[in-house]
Amino acid sequence: MNDDEMLRQAIAHSRALTRRRFLRNAGLGAGLLAAGPAFLAACGDDSKDSDAGGGESETTTAKGSGSADNNDLYHANWTAYLDEESAGLWEKSSGKKLFYSEEFNDNNEYFAKISPELSQGNPIKPDIITPTFWMAGRLINLGWLEKLPVDRVPNAKNLVTSLVKPSWDPTGEYTLPWQSGMAGIAYNAKVTGREIKSIDDLLDPEFKGQIGMLTEMRDTLGLLALAQGIALDKPTFDGFAPVFDVLDKAVSDGQVRRFHGNDYMDDLSAGNFAMCFGWSGDVVQLSKDNPDVKFVIPESGGTLWSDTMVVPKGATKLDNAASWMDFCYDPVNAARIAAFVQYISPVQGVQDELRRMGGDAAVAADSPLLFPDETTSALLQSWGNLSEDEEAKFDARFAEITGN
Amino acid sequence: MVAPTSDRARRAGSGIGSRVLTGVTVLGFLYLFAPIIWIVVFSFNAPKGKFNYLWERFTLDNWADPFKDQGLTQAFWTSLKLAVVAVSVATVLGALIAMALAKYRFRGSSAVDIFMVLPLTTPEIVLGASLLTLFVDTGTERGFWTVAIAHILFCLSFVALTVKARIRGFDWSLEDAALDLGASPWRTFTKVTLPLILPGILAAALLSFALSIDDYIITSFNAGSTRTFPLQIFDSARVQVSPQINVLATIILVFSVAVLVVTSIFSARRATS
Amino acid sequence: MATDVDGRRPGRFVPWALLSPGTLWLVLFFLVPLLTLIRQALSSKPSRFVPAQFSWEWSNFGTALSDYGPQFTRSFVYAGIATLLALAIGYPIAYFIATKGGRWKDLLIGLVVVPFFTSFLIRTIAWKAILQDDGPAVGLWRVFLGADARILSTPMAVVGGLTYNFLPFMILPIYVSLEKIDFGLADAAGDLYATPLATFRKVILPLSLPGVFAGSLLVFIPAAGDFINATLLGSPKTTMIGSVVQNQFLVQSNFPVASALSLVLMGIITALVLVYSKLFGTDGLAA
Repeated sequence: MNDDEMLRQAIAHSRALTRRRFLRNAGLGAGLLAAGPAFLAACGDDSKDSDAGGGESETTTAKGSGSADNNDLYHANWTAYLDEESAGLWEKSSGKKLFYSEEFNDNNEYFAKISPELSQGNPIKPDIITPTFWMAGRLINLGWLEKLPVDRVPNAKNLVTSLVKPSWDPTGEYTLPWQSGMAGIAYNAKVTGREIKSIDDLLDPEFKGQIGMLTEMRDTLGLLALAQGIALDKPTFDGFAPVFDVLDKAVSDGQVRRFHGNDYMDDLSAGNFAMCFGWSGDVVQLSKDNPDVKFVIPESGGTLWSDTMVVPKGATKLDNAASWMDFCYDPVNAARIAAFVQYISPVQGVQDELRRMGGDAAVAADSPLLFPDETTSALLQSWGNLSEDEEAKFDARFAEITGN
Repeated sequence: MVAPTSDRARRAGSGIGSRVLTGVTVLGFLYLFAPIIWIVVFSFNAPKGKFNYLWERFTLDNWADPFKDQGLTQAFWTSLKLAVVAVSVATVLGALIAMALAKYRFRGSSAVDIFMVLPLTTPEIVLGASLLTLFVDTGTERGFWTVAIAHILFCLSFVALTVKARIRGFDWSLEDAALDLGASPWRTFTKVTLPLILPGILAAALLSFALSIDDYIITSFNAGSTRTFPLQIFDSARVQVSPQINVLATIILVFSVAVLVVTSIFSARRATS
Repeated sequence: MATDVDGRRPGRFVPWALLSPGTLWLVLFFLVPLLTLIRQALSSKPSRFVPAQFSWEWSNFGTALSDYGPQFTRSFVYAGIATLLALAIGYPIAYFIATKGGRWKDLLIGLVVVPFFTSFLIRTIAWKAILQDDGPAVGLWRVFLGADARILSTPMAVVGGLTYNFLPFMILPIYVSLEKIDFGLADAAGDLYATPLATFRKVILPLSLPGVFAGSLLVFIPAAGDFINATLLGSPKTTMIGSVVQNQFLVQSNFPVASALSLVLMGIITALVLVYSKLFGTDGLAA
């Protein structure tokens, strides 16, 4: 090649060198930029999380502020389970801070989130969590809970007698109920055209494709079981075979439109459901706005459930937890919470307190759904505990029928 | 690179076929916007109960106090912050990959090609659960940054794919020309390369932003106690659907349409000048 | 040897330097967890809530395929239909914007994306409200199909939801492809006495195929793994494989089977994608 050619190649080569170097540096720079967050996350720094994350402590509902010192308490609970005032009142009286997060939305989902840590004996962030009774039972069996500091919760004596040493917590050392409720039939009278009284109504072919059932296995199976005269206190997989058969038939016949969680109220209101299994507190709310919607405990009986406070293993702030639980079990505070939540309070004396408060609260005091009378209570049954193997069989069969 | 439209094509396109096309497109846009119209309209609704499904009456109350639901508002801001972080990092990383794959042929490029796209073929639940396992095994606290990592992951693949499609077949000799004319590598990059690939990057960034804001499954596995907008809506929707959600959604909508309109007016003006 | 597209050799390391940060991210946060998943799929559990032990348990894959065949099939059918529908709706929109958009192209294409800046849940709730049994949409539907017809809780609603939620993923790649076409070629065809329809079929359509290809993948793949639409808009008989995976992970705590299911799903999708790309003759998985 001639000189020009060589020169051109030389120039191109040197240009290429500088360009190469530049691009390489650009790549490294971008790499550091990308690696930055990875290092931050890997450090897993507590305060880093709450600051850099745009204020995780702010990302809760406005029920108490949080800070990472030893005078605070982290309570993970379901939505709409605490009124606006109570948290602030406790903070004032105790001088502690409540970090209240409505992150508990599904028992199984939450269990899946916490089991990696708890199964290896590591603590989780919340000091109190509020699983439903059967999940609490499972956690007790797995040994993933601390015993409650009941000696520091004097108001625990206010617990209603029916909930003392319950089936899921026979020693009464691990759980304190937060709220209880009933599962029954919720129906839209305008769509059904008649009063609904029993499970037979629910399974009536007239309403084919207009029925909903709960994804909450124990409520759905429980209601169906009671209709067949099968008791819920000592459940066995083999004993429940006829119940599963009824459920299977209802699904394959197309009687059931879908299985739902809490999101049945819109379908009821809109007339997508003629009726469905539902929970007492929800329907109380809905009936106020839509008088066509009614709640009934079937003639054969309904299920009674509780959401309970437990302390996961490895939690250290037991004093703070005790203080908060004590506060919530004072009838005055319990009444305020119950008036908001509209479910059955586990604390004695709440009914009188509500009457004393007057106004809407007094109306709540007279609600048979919040304070079931003797006849209603006689119709309600709670599930007994299931062993791990039995529970697995129940879960698998239920999932199979519901389409999963 | 914009292809020139020809007179003939335009003329030929004014017959029946063209009218059908326009009609179908209008219907298509209506379809795209049907839920949006519902969202906006129902932000002015005063629902009787906890669920905003049936029209009750018109009210401006929701708009007077859009941030009434504190939890929702906090989650909203968190989602925005998250999206900005995720998109920034993912755009840079993804564009670099796209450039490497589109410009150069090297051994292992098809392997990288496939590897880069694999996260998109993985079901979200798998991505979510496997990341959770990783974080737990390394003892990483779940929170804002772990969600950010997850979002960057799927946005990255997306950006790389989109930008690569966009810049394939570019005339890279333009870069050489600039260098030959004495421009420094940095200047070449900013004045020649970047403007060429920018439209593709912007398009990818736009869609990544939407992906990040909207993500539920992967986020729910890796968020710890951080609440993002979709998480908050989904979880509280079990108990109520408040008009505030519609209001916030409409605000996002109006804002993004405004940005869109402004930028396109600018580019339209530039096109004609 | 690494070469750039002009055939020159700028140096072995440039492409790798560009690639490294992104690829590293993918390796750390995608590959490593994926390996954990494979390990889980080959593990077994002595009891429900203890971590699984690695034991070359291939039977998990067998269980996955035999027990959940219907859900797998259903997912691919729904996803396939949704892809075709998205193509039918999306192609005309993309074509319109590319050819008739003029100065407002960016605005129009932006408008396609804008609805998706709201949460998918809000959009799905909106569809639930629009498609409710007592609503006007179903009222019109009932004119054709009788007073008991409904849209919600049917496969139609699920497919509709899938189509809607992934529509922009179809429109954008097709638009990008169409935009690059030199419509002078259409002119040339016209000069050669081709009708507009023939021009479209023989010139424009083939040139837009890379976009169609990318769009179909971007719709089909996530749609096949989706379950939110089926949960919110469907019934127990429309369950998709994604629901099963979630149930196995979260409710049954059966990580080995859940992992096996995930891997089978990924495997089938990858196989379908490879077949599809062979048929269409495009290189690799991107346009």
